[in-house]
Amino acid sequence: MAPNHSNENGSIGSSLHGVTAREQIFCFSVEDGPSSQAIRSDDPTAKFALPVDSEHRAKVFKPLSFAKPHMRAFHLGWISFFTCFISTFAAAPLVPVIRDNLDLTKTDIGNAGVASVSGAIFSRLAMGAVCDLLGARYGTAFSLMLSAPAVFSMSFVADAGSYLAVRFMIGFCLATFVSCQYWTSVMFTGKIIGLVNGCAGGWGDMGGGVTQLLMPMVFHVIKLTGATPFSAWRFAFFIPGFLQIIMGILVLTLGQDLPDGNLSTLQKSGQVSKDKFSKVFWFAVKNYRTWILFVLYGFSMGVELTINNVISGYFYDRFNLTLHTAGIVAASFGMANFFARPFGGYASDVAARLFGMRGRLWTLWILQTVGALFCIWLGRASSLPIAILAMMLFSVGTQAACGALFGVAPFVSRRSLGLISGLTGAGGNFGSGVTQLLFFSSSRFSTAEGLSLMGVMAVVCTIPVAFIHFPQWGSMFLRPSQHEERSKEEHYYGGEWTEEEKSLGLHEGSIKFAENSRSERGRKAVLADIPTPETGSPAHV
Amino acid sequence: MAIHKILFASLLICLLIQSSHAATKERLFSDLEKSALEVTATPSRVGEGVGVDKLSITWKVSSTATKEPEFKAIKVKLCYAPASQVDRPWRKTENELFKDKSCPHKISSWSYDPAMKAGQSFDYTLERDIPTGTYFVRAYAVDTKDHEVAFGQSTNEDKTTNLFSVQAISGRHKSLDIASVCFSVFSVVALLVFFVNEKRKAKIEQSE
Repeated sequence: MAPNHSNENGSIGSSLHGVTAREQIFCFSVEDGPSSQAIRSDDPTAKFALPVDSEHRAKVFKPLSFAKPHMRAFHLGWISFFTCFISTFAAAPLVPVIRDNLDLTKTDIGNAGVASVSGAIFSRLAMGAVCDLLGARYGTAFSLMLSAPAVFSMSFVADAGSYLAVRFMIGFCLATFVSCQYWTSVMFTGKIIGLVNGCAGGWGDMGGGVTQLLMPMVFHVIKLTGATPFSAWRFAFFIPGFLQIIMGILVLTLGQDLPDGNLSTLQKSGQVSKDKFSKVFWFAVKNYRTWILFVLYGFSMGVELTINNVISGYFYDRFNLTLHTAGIVAASFGMANFFARPFGGYASDVAARLFGMRGRLWTLWILQTVGALFCIWLGRASSLPIAILAMMLFSVGTQAACGALFGVAPFVSRRSLGLISGLTGAGGNFGSGVTQLLFFSSSRFSTAEGLSLMGVMAVVCTIPVAFIHFPQWGSMFLRPSQHEERSKEEHYYGGEWTEEEKSLGLHEGSIKFAENSRSERGRKAVLADIPTPETGSPAHV
Repeated sequence: MAIHKILFASLLICLLIQSSHAATKERLFSDLEKSALEVTATPSRVGEGVGVDKLSITWKVSSTATKEPEFKAIKVKLCYAPASQVDRPWRKTENELFKDKSCPHKISSWSYDPAMKAGQSFDYTLERDIPTGTYFVRAYAVDTKDHEVAFGQSTNEDKTTNLFSVQAISGRHKSLDIASVCFSVFSVVALLVFFVNEKRKAKIEQSE
């Protein structure tokens, strides 16, 4: 039985392999026999602090540990991502001061907000390839340390144009989302990767909230030392800059690319067949579900990114709060990510257990629509307590929707998993750019009107989730196909490989994945009547 | 069930707070007595140059003022001219006084008594956080409840005459610029050093 190749590190499509909690790790299982999952006494895995599987990925998630290499990688990954969120949105709470210094108009501020999220559309797509080639450590470090100069260059900004350019360049560092998820995917086994990635993603997103508190505080402290406001805000940007450099150095010195060591010093043994990028790209692009997810994430994460840019200024202007207080209110939006995003992923998992993939799709639709409805309410609220209440409910709904979406995304494709995750991530930034451009960059709408309209647009753009149909599992309104062949998971995932590729056995990873994804049938999963696919039966069963 | 009760109670409280807020904020700018005060503002230097700018401001109670007995204090403020309000909703002029954002910069405040009818004349040094823009000066007369009753401004009603412009400081400093360049260079160089070092170590290990 040919060992599976597409699980090898470095093959295209493996960038975010493991994102689903359903993959079976079988890279060595064919040769190793039934004890492949257990730790043997002479096994080098005994040197790891956490129990590991045969690929040396951790089987247990201990958030309070910093053990090398797994938990250390997790913490370095999410803190790096967190730091980048701080830098990208550091300008937002200080806009009331910056707009006076640079004589900005609302259009200038809106355009700079669009620019701050646009850079990451490209850098997130590129980061998958960078991680495959250089490893997650360098991917993260490149992102952090090459964008630090952009953060520092806020001290040179003198007008609207340079302000926009600097925010655009700082925005590139949001690619750490991809490198962080890649890093956890190589460090943690498939069964727990959903929770690990949900935590890493949610805790990293919190940076957008923390920055609303941190920057006004730093600004205030610098003013106390005697600086004028127009100098103090520039100096305040040094703090995110320092954080990026420090995190970059920590990642390079303390981190490890793979459980067994660093990419450059490890000798890659065995065959590594890299999947063809053109094929992976084609199957990702051809699948209409990718684009629906692109739009959906654009109106959950996209809305969240937009709010990070506008909410502090909104509370400052509309309710006449101080910079400091507006920052606190705005921060609570981003901080809700700590539990809201993992909660969304968890809710999706629970729904899947009961109703299968249909449950996941309904959960996603409900969370995102409810979040958007509260966004409409936020724009219409004219008193501070109601606005805060609406904002909190809105934040939980939208952020949980982000988590729920990544409960669906891993099942859209097995072959192009990494690219789809990258495209979806880019969709978030794209959605943010669009909403900021439409609603917050001109004086046509007041910010309050903009918020409500954005909520309406989000409700409308969440409707496409009803069109995501899996023949083997159904969709929101349609039952799974009754057709003999099409109702099998193997047919769906096998369909991504040509007959020629199938004859070479390249698709075996997808077949294994299909077997594991049977759980998406919900309680109705009946394993007995599914015949074993002829090319996929593992020898040790 | 307890959660439902708590949510309902907090919603009720929020609504009550909202309704109680609504009553008090109806004072309008259009209700104020116009031109009760005569205000002039003259910048002490016209044209380009480096340094600190001053405004010479005078105010006095006009002979046509009718609400003069109510005056308790005079507040002088720096206000944005329409040109500086374009596409900047945070500087918008609103009729409701509590919403109006066109005069955010306080210049000075004077306690008023009838002996001061002839007014005051003083110099104001522009603060270093005044943004670039076109401005005029307005003086509000407030009563004992700290409510505005009358005003006067250095420009006409359409805000087209006697405007002056201010050029803000840039906030940039040579020391900031230098520090910024140093740290940026350090960041890039550190990354390159690590990268090159590791590649070299890997080559050495492979050749062993």
